[in-house]
Amino acid sequence: MKPAPFEYLAATSAAEAAEALAAANGDGKIIAGGQSLMPMINFRLVKPTILIDINRIAGLDRIEKHGERLRIGATVRHRMTATDALVHRHIPILHDAMHHVAHLTVRNRGTFCGSVCHADPAAEMPMMTLLLDGTIAALSIRGERQIAASEFFVGSLMTSLEPDEFVTWIDIDTLPPETGWGFEEFSRRHGDFALACVATTMRIVDGVACDVRFGMMGVGETPLRLPDIETLVEGQAISERLLQDVSEALKGLLQPNTDIHASADYRRHLAGVLARRALRDAWKRATFRKDGPDA
Amino acid sequence: MSLHDHSVELRPKLVGKRVKRTEDPRLLAGVGQYVDDMAPAGMMHVALLRSDQPHARILNIDVGEAFSVPGVIAIYDATDLENEVRPAIPTSRMPDYYATPIWPLARHKVRYVGEPVVAVVAESRYAAEDALEHITIDYEPLPFAIRQVDAVKDDAPLLHEEAGTNTIIRREFKRGDVDAAFESAAVTVKGRFRMTRKTAVAMENRSYLAEWDARKQALTLYTSSNIPGVIRDVLSGCLDLPGTRLRVVAPDVGGSFGGKGSLYGEEILVCALARKLKRPVKFVSDRLEDLSATSQAFDELIEAELAVTEDGMLIGLRADVIGDVGAYSIYPWTAALETVQVVSFLPGPYRMEHYRGRIRGVLTPKPPTGPYRGVGRPSSTFAMERLIEMAARKLGMDPVAFRRKNLVNADEFPYRTASGIIWDKSAFQECLAGACAHVNYPNLLLERDEARRDGRWVGIGLASYAELTGIGSRISVAPGMPINTGTETAKIEIDATGAITAAFGIASHGQGLETTLAQVIVDELGCKLEDIEVKHGDSALVPMSSGTYASRSAVLGGGAATLAARVVKGKVLRAAAYLMEQSIDDLDMHDGIVTSRNSNCTMTLKEIASAVYSQMGRIPRDQREDLAASETYDPYLGTACSSTHLAMVEVDPETYGVKVLRYVVAEDCGKIINPMIVDGQVQGAVAQGIGAALLEEIVHDDQGQTVAASLADYLVPVATNVPDIGIVHIEADLPNNVGGFRGMGEGGTIGAPATIANAVSDALSHLSVSVETLPVTPERIFRMLQARRDPAAAVTD
Repeated sequence: MKPAPFEYLAATSAAEAAEALAAANGDGKIIAGGQSLMPMINFRLVKPTILIDINRIAGLDRIEKHGERLRIGATVRHRMTATDALVHRHIPILHDAMHHVAHLTVRNRGTFCGSVCHADPAAEMPMMTLLLDGTIAALSIRGERQIAASEFFVGSLMTSLEPDEFVTWIDIDTLPPETGWGFEEFSRRHGDFALACVATTMRIVDGVACDVRFGMMGVGETPLRLPDIETLVEGQAISERLLQDVSEALKGLLQPNTDIHASADYRRHLAGVLARRALRDAWKRATFRKDGPDA
Repeated sequence: MSLHDHSVELRPKLVGKRVKRTEDPRLLAGVGQYVDDMAPAGMMHVALLRSDQPHARILNIDVGEAFSVPGVIAIYDATDLENEVRPAIPTSRMPDYYATPIWPLARHKVRYVGEPVVAVVAESRYAAEDALEHITIDYEPLPFAIRQVDAVKDDAPLLHEEAGTNTIIRREFKRGDVDAAFESAAVTVKGRFRMTRKTAVAMENRSYLAEWDARKQALTLYTSSNIPGVIRDVLSGCLDLPGTRLRVVAPDVGGSFGGKGSLYGEEILVCALARKLKRPVKFVSDRLEDLSATSQAFDELIEAELAVTEDGMLIGLRADVIGDVGAYSIYPWTAALETVQVVSFLPGPYRMEHYRGRIRGVLTPKPPTGPYRGVGRPSSTFAMERLIEMAARKLGMDPVAFRRKNLVNADEFPYRTASGIIWDKSAFQECLAGACAHVNYPNLLLERDEARRDGRWVGIGLASYAELTGIGSRISVAPGMPINTGTETAKIEIDATGAITAAFGIASHGQGLETTLAQVIVDELGCKLEDIEVKHGDSALVPMSSGTYASRSAVLGGGAATLAARVVKGKVLRAAAYLMEQSIDDLDMHDGIVTSRNSNCTMTLKEIASAVYSQMGRIPRDQREDLAASETYDPYLGTACSSTHLAMVEVDPETYGVKVLRYVVAEDCGKIINPMIVDGQVQGAVAQGIGAALLEEIVHDDQGQTVAASLADYLVPVATNVPDIGIVHIEADLPNNVGGFRGMGEGGTIGAPATIANAVSDALSHLSVSVETLPVTPERIFRMLQARRDPAAAVTD
């Protein structure tokens, strides 16, 4: 379990990293936290000719608020996202989701953007980026390209990044303070990849749900945003009847995989269970926060 | 009795004290030394090309451009080593057994995915792995049966043609007329129990380093083994080297749990290569290799049936077991170790007259099964304790009352079980009572019932079992096996500085035996703890050693330590009597100081040692003796270590996730040397057993490929899966061995799977489903409930 030989470059500017990546002709890999990449390199599933380390590039290690969006730099660690005051205040669902990301040692090194680039269909950050209408900034020697999260995840561990592009930051929506949220994940052990997970947000206006967002992971080839479910819930009050309808609808919408941890049938069952729980939570929180989020 | 005798009684003893482990400072400070920490000058590294086929003929091996990789020194396959080594043969006196030879590299055929085929030797592991990428093996795939139910059939493809069958083990135990018992039984229950395949997952992977000494024409193997003495003896034959030119050392070893307790082909390999290339050779397996080529465990299919009278007395048990032993019979234990123990221990700690237990051990193209903490008994206890709770439920009896009625009582010991095992007096009933008292069982039932009224799926489960530990020469640890597991030697020497070396054949690899054996010696000899150096894990220490396994080291090592310390103490006191001009009967030593009851004069051990060794003529030559002794202890029979586990679990009614709410262990391990270490053993073993019950499973798909190839897929328990564990120590009658100790390192893994299975079954009892396969995962509960609703959709495991 030793990697094949590779070159290593500690880039000091984004331009230098972009040049090196272009020069590698598709055989280069960017490394920040290395929590997914290093095991793949050690298993020789990935054999880059050069590893381009972006940790020394100034300015990528920040979380900043730009208008109604939070911008997360490429070397921001999970640990920082988990403890960041802006995230806690403006996107409490993301703060909650961080508790499910692996374990402390992994969170200390792994990065938000790295997880999104790795695009594991059962990892939290890709799903959250999709849920929060993220924008991914991809840099190459050809310039910067901004990719909508909805266009980014194309398959299991596959994204629409070009081989010469790397991510410098990701923007995600902040949520209005009265937004309620539900985050329900089920895994074999705490910190493992999810067998299924639901993340949902909503506000309550005139006694019904609005601005409903509904995302899932672990139940397909990519993280999912489910507009059919969002439409179903939008404009409705959460009731047992509605939750039942959501469970039923999910069965038809999802095509989960079978692996050694769970069958497709069980995952479909779990999706319904977690959806009901998450929607109930979101409704409860929205009810509470409407009356005073800082109470 | 005089006052003085009371003062002796009141002297603080170390046995029974929570003495901090003396090995911990080095291990915790990172200055322990494991095989991988060793790097002698000129050391080379080995990487192995392993089979990606479950069963295939090797047609051709092409090394391609492998030698072009800088640093590659040599590349070998089995044909290159044909004249360098002889295979190890795991012989047995058992009838109907075939001993599969163990070679370092696959010859002619491969028989499981992960079997080593080609060895690359290089200046670094990196270079060796780079070279592997250039090598191609041309295979002719052969038919195979991956499941034991298929492999056992007469027309199944043969894995070892020479054996003429895949069924290399057959054994039957019987007593009485079991069929008649079933005919007369008021109630019978039966199940088809499956304990899936597991692997030990020690923190340190298997690691080997061989050094060839050209001057002495001698070989030293450093190995992460818990049986270095056994390895020395077998390698002596494989390599044709006498013990004087072959030394096997186990330095610090990072856990074994049984996985490092057998001979591995890689051990033969590094020795042969070091001798051939005359340079040190190291092989360190990585986690993938550990998961795919370290010995695995269990994998039995147990069809068992229990017969009970109307008033709840067990009368008969019959079982038919097919054990999937993997591709080879392992050395020295053979494939019978795990499989035969399942049927020899199945009747458990219960009084029962009629029994028939039959086992067939079947070869399949998977890694060999071997020792795993608990050996056989986690499976047998799972099956038997499920049957016990099923029978209690059918009779409408409380499972505790049902067990109380059938556990062997104190006045019935020694009790000979239906399979022939003899239980010496052990606290069977007291452990059951102790576990129930600890949780306030009647209250716990109320708590469960109240939770159920709230719609929660809460259940309580128990398991009572006994294991045979500290086994002497009367019975082999594995049936018919060619090695001696029944004796242990201690060599205690006081040197000229007054320091004490105590050398053993055991090989502590996490048990804390450097501490516990020193505690025993302190009490027996009357010296200071810090003056003792316990040496172990080195074949050069004593003439014959085997190692640490089968819950033997405290009993046999502690016994040998006691015997040797007594002899040495006699020598110390004889020297002191001369030097102090006192009668030997008036002398005693405590804390390294000899005192006399008739005088104020004292001498330290250091002074006595100096007088004996260094002060020429101080003691007349006809009275002078070296302060040393070597004693061997053989407890002849084994002793029963018994326990009852009790757990309360909660199953999520929607996700089917299982949470362990309460857990208690009441155990009788005889006299406790160090309660802190016993607690640690119980907690660690229960955690491992919870892993077996809820999480861990080695899966091979229909193509014979291993699916759980990383720790992301082979799920070991983590802190969040393990509750606080209540521990009740019961020290009833001490066993009839030298120290009064019973072995206790394995028990937790024996009791926990059955306990959790029973608790989950209880939690699901209102749904009329019963746990028969472990681990009981959310997926399995989902499928059980689905099958209950729609029997047509049932999928068997």
